[in-house]
Amino acid sequence: MLRVKLQIDAAGISSRLFGTGETVESVEIDNALPVAGGSVFLFLTVTLDGDRSETRLSDRLSEAEVVDVSKATANGHGYHVGVVTDLSDASVLSLLTENEAVPHRIVCRATHLDVVASVRDWSHLKTLADDIEAEHGALELIGTTQTEAIGFPLGGTKIKRSLMGKLSDEQLDVLEVAYRMGYFKVPQEATATEIAREMDISRSTLSERLRRVEHNLCALLFGPYQ
Amino acid sequence: MTTILVVRSAGQASAVREVFDSIAEAGETVHVLRPPTADRVDQLLGDVRSELAREVEYTVDGLTGEGVSELVAFAAERDADRICIGISERTQTGKVRIDDRTQSLLLHDRIAGDLVVGDAVIVLKGLSYDG
Repeated sequence: MLRVKLQIDAAGISSRLFGTGETVESVEIDNALPVAGGSVFLFLTVTLDGDRSETRLSDRLSEAEVVDVSKATANGHGYHVGVVTDLSDASVLSLLTENEAVPHRIVCRATHLDVVASVRDWSHLKTLADDIEAEHGALELIGTTQTEAIGFPLGGTKIKRSLMGKLSDEQLDVLEVAYRMGYFKVPQEATATEIAREMDISRSTLSERLRRVEHNLCALLFGPYQ
Repeated sequence: MTTILVVRSAGQASAVREVFDSIAEAGETVHVLRPPTADRVDQLLGDVRSELAREVEYTVDGLTGEGVSELVAFAAERDADRICIGISERTQTGKVRIDDRTQSLLLHDRIAGDLVVGDAVIVLKGLSYDG
């Protein structure tokens, strides 16, 4: 089995998002579910250059039926967006699945789509490439590697989403600041005192929040604490 | 068996070693194709062969242009079983970076077979040719 990375011109709902007037850095398809009548329920992660309100982002996507918009990170500029739209808005995903290729990542970055997918073999790659070229024009193969396992289809952020649901905003905030300041690095790049000062909270509050984060992560991994 | 090895530069010693040592069969002649500008490839081939215990013969031909038709015609003429392409770079996630010539070869409609990614070479093997 071959895992391939390829690039094609931006297309579909991801590219439309770049034309909404917001400064979009990337749009990734996390998941897709079929909806009756040739539509598809797309779960996207949209990364912008700054904070926006969920309402504003939702208004910008008025062409599609926006089901949900929520912030993806406490301090970043990512948003989880759920939309119901025409299947043609996810044409590259359709081409991959129609050709029995396994899509792993589909990310739009302004002018192009980065696609990572698994195919059975060289012949399968050629068939898929022909179909993509027929619908999307030029295709650029970026890289390939051999793989024994099929891997996970899309949804690279699934774990992230699960974690988000288990942690409060306060806990996410303290975790992200600690992570970004290098608290978890070895050797440590910031002490608990420095993190607490940065967040304007006491050291004991910081410690308590981090312990709650650890507890919740363990609950997610190992089940509820008895 | 007939093997073709495409080497882009004299920096691809590991690709030459992999083909000479573990892909080509003992006593086989490997047809090495290199761009005309890669002038130190001849020296590299001699050095690698001299350090190996097994007997591998080789020929060297120039590969002009970025087009791939010349390469496919060369392989078809010799009914080559394998084409090995030296890997020059990998992506951050470990994928072999594919240049324009390799892409053209992989998507060429005259040639088919199996694709295997080695340590230092991409190996197209069990080749068959249309037309």
